[in-house]
Amino acid sequence: MRGESSRFETTTASWWCPGCGNNSVLTALHAALLEIGTQPKDIAFISGIGCSGKISGYLRSYAFHGLHGRTLPVATGIKFANRDLTVIAAGGDGDGYAIGSAHFIHTVRRNPDITYIVMDNGTYGLTHGQPSPTSAREGALPDSVLPPLDGLAIALAAGATFIARASSAHPARLSDLIRKALTHRGFAIVEVLSPCVVYGAERSNEQVYVEERIGYDRENRGAAFNLLTDAQTTPIGVIFQSSRPTFEEVCNLPERPLTTFPLSTQPEMFSSILDEHR
Amino acid sequence: MLSSCAIINDIEIALCGTGGEWCKTGALALARAFKHLGLSVATYQDVPARILGGSVCHFVRARETPNFGLADSTDAAIVLDESAHEGLLDEMIRPGGFIIVDSDHSPYAARRRDDITWYDVPLDELAREEPDPRRARLAVALGVLANLIGIERDVLGDIVDQTAIDNGRRYAERMLSARFCGYAMQKRPDLDCLIMTGNDAIALGALAAGCRFMAAYPIAPATEIFELFGRHAPTFAAVALQAEDEIAAINMALGAAFAGARAMTATSGPGQALMTEAVTLAGSLEIPIVVAHCSRAGPSTGMPTKTEQADLAHLVFAGHGDAPRFVLAPGTVEDTFWLVVDAFNLAEKYQCPVFVLTEQALCRNAATLPRPDLAALKIDRGKLETRAVGENYKRFAFTADGVSPRVVPGVPRGMHLASGAEHDEAGTVTDDPANRERMMRKRMQKLRSARSDLPTHVEHGVANARIALFAYGSTRGPILEAQQNLMEAGIPTRFFQFRTLWPFPEDEVCAFAADADHLVVVEGSYTGQLHQLMRSAIGSSGGDPELISRFDGRPFQPKDISAYVKQLAVVRDVNFAR
Repeated sequence: MRGESSRFETTTASWWCPGCGNNSVLTALHAALLEIGTQPKDIAFISGIGCSGKISGYLRSYAFHGLHGRTLPVATGIKFANRDLTVIAAGGDGDGYAIGSAHFIHTVRRNPDITYIVMDNGTYGLTHGQPSPTSAREGALPDSVLPPLDGLAIALAAGATFIARASSAHPARLSDLIRKALTHRGFAIVEVLSPCVVYGAERSNEQVYVEERIGYDRENRGAAFNLLTDAQTTPIGVIFQSSRPTFEEVCNLPERPLTTFPLSTQPEMFSSILDEHR
Repeated sequence: MLSSCAIINDIEIALCGTGGEWCKTGALALARAFKHLGLSVATYQDVPARILGGSVCHFVRARETPNFGLADSTDAAIVLDESAHEGLLDEMIRPGGFIIVDSDHSPYAARRRDDITWYDVPLDELAREEPDPRRARLAVALGVLANLIGIERDVLGDIVDQTAIDNGRRYAERMLSARFCGYAMQKRPDLDCLIMTGNDAIALGALAAGCRFMAAYPIAPATEIFELFGRHAPTFAAVALQAEDEIAAINMALGAAFAGARAMTATSGPGQALMTEAVTLAGSLEIPIVVAHCSRAGPSTGMPTKTEQADLAHLVFAGHGDAPRFVLAPGTVEDTFWLVVDAFNLAEKYQCPVFVLTEQALCRNAATLPRPDLAALKIDRGKLETRAVGENYKRFAFTADGVSPRVVPGVPRGMHLASGAEHDEAGTVTDDPANRERMMRKRMQKLRSARSDLPTHVEHGVANARIALFAYGSTRGPILEAQQNLMEAGIPTRFFQFRTLWPFPEDEVCAFAADADHLVVVEGSYTGQLHQLMRSAIGSSGGDPELISRFDGRPFQPKDISAYVKQLAVVRDVNFAR
């Protein structure tokens, strides 16, 4: 039997660069899951494409390394087939906010009970450093400047029920935020500032800790929106949290997993359906 | 002008008007009426891609079993708004046929053909007192029609406006002389005979096969599959999710299948184009999934409500790189139901995507079929482990048939990475060349291993006829009718109806074609995608297949085939004697 600390370790060592923020995210995720007590066999871990997408190879679980930007639809399908699973999706800022942006918006709106970790490094590292939506640059043209996209503000507008940002530089806080996201009932996003040691692109504005803001009401959408869209600062912590029915509840999904129901049909059940076509 | 009351058990009727005049409802009610009389029925809708307005034409063909679909000509028509069709109907009706028109909306009286009978009926006046006069116009016309062809009143029970039907019947009794024809009517309706569209059959076949998850995006002509599946889903502990786009739809279905549910999606050409990246993902991750593909006329937006068979290559070669998939093609509504059941079994047995390829002509039109006997339905999940596996379990283990034992999340010790990147038996990502070669062979081996499991083709006609026809899907109907007509003209033919298109049944095709003088592919595609596959399969020694193609958005009619074959006889002076 594996020891506690190695429960989630796979046989594959991560090949992220030394100093890559993603190493910290992985460690924090292991720690959060250990604390909650989830078993590897009950975790579905879905990742996208890019350096961040490699994370699914490093968590002992039922891991799905799929298409660029398409982690959230896969995660939704998995959750609906077996709602007893802990479903975690993870990817980079390009995976989530560029090619995956449509799925991001609609999954947030639906609010399935899924945790989404976005490793934000402001770049497309694996393809050698093109700017991503969260950077202040446009692309191949030199000196082209665009305002950075704030995925969390978009999530807020789409109806997210748990919005948090963390930094890979503070592992204990990061692990705590991931744990909170995992235990949140509904869609929970944790965006992690996770710098790329090779291609840089760190955010330059001041990080402010939400929990240190006196009187900040994290259930107030307006306050959250103002905080997120303030160009001078980057808020860290649980920025917004609320509650509404999960997508599973909205769809009246049976309490027990769909996969536990027998496949064969009782003839009587089908009989009245076929009668409609007489 | 009217023939005497002969018994004819083969009639084709067109209901025409503008969109929104209930022609579709009326056609289905008429179709049901014929079914209740014990006849086999096929329908076809020729409608524009819009919600209201435009000219629509709904065909109903009823004959004694078997029913092959649209005939070479239409016997009768009801035209609610003649101006919408601008005289086109004249060409459609055969000499000796009849048209019922509204006496108040018939601007083309001056140039009517005199070899068909025109019945001018005051539809507005006869429908005036009804709760919904506009809808009742059609019911009046159906009442007139029923009188002319000898259908009893109660058979048209599906029509809401029963008094309007009666008005029509009485008008016909009073004002029109003699009946057009009659029917050999059965005393009781056959309750074991159903009528449904190909799309209905796909949704019901999927539910019967244990499919519990469907994700889709609405698209003509596939939308109804999703709607019917969704309507019945609660009864089966199933779920239907409307995705934000087709990319999400197929990825949701892949997720559900990864987690152990039987899952599907349904789409048409434009949607499949979006789903393409996921096809080889499914092949690489070895995840079972069924995709119902309802072709429509392309390219691009094309003609969304018209039929075509030009997506075969789209499916056979879908996705980058080499990855396995099966493409199945039903030829009738009944076949559609059972092939969908097969598709789910095959998908799980071989752990790869399975396409069920159909087209507007077959999927969006209703036809009769025997009630499916669910006792005959078998569910086979292949090498699925749902309880536990050993410590050394490898999800992508090399096996003789290329299929590895499969686990789903929740199974103890089965944890693994399923990656679209190349991987070893355990799932670890690697680009080791020896492993890559072996893993590619493993996945592609499935195409060979499945051969004896895949739906077989059907051979129709005269086994050693000199002329061999090849086709799949809705062209089955017109070809069978053409074969009958040709036989009556002294020209025997043989017909190879594909039901599996990929892996391509080369051996069977070559055996069938071997001693034929002429190979003719009948296909609704300008470039002849099946034709090209045939040529590759047969090679230069096997003969040069010809192509009859139709790509005007309309289905083949028997005369398209019989005219070509007769011309072969004349031009090539082929001896058709057996």
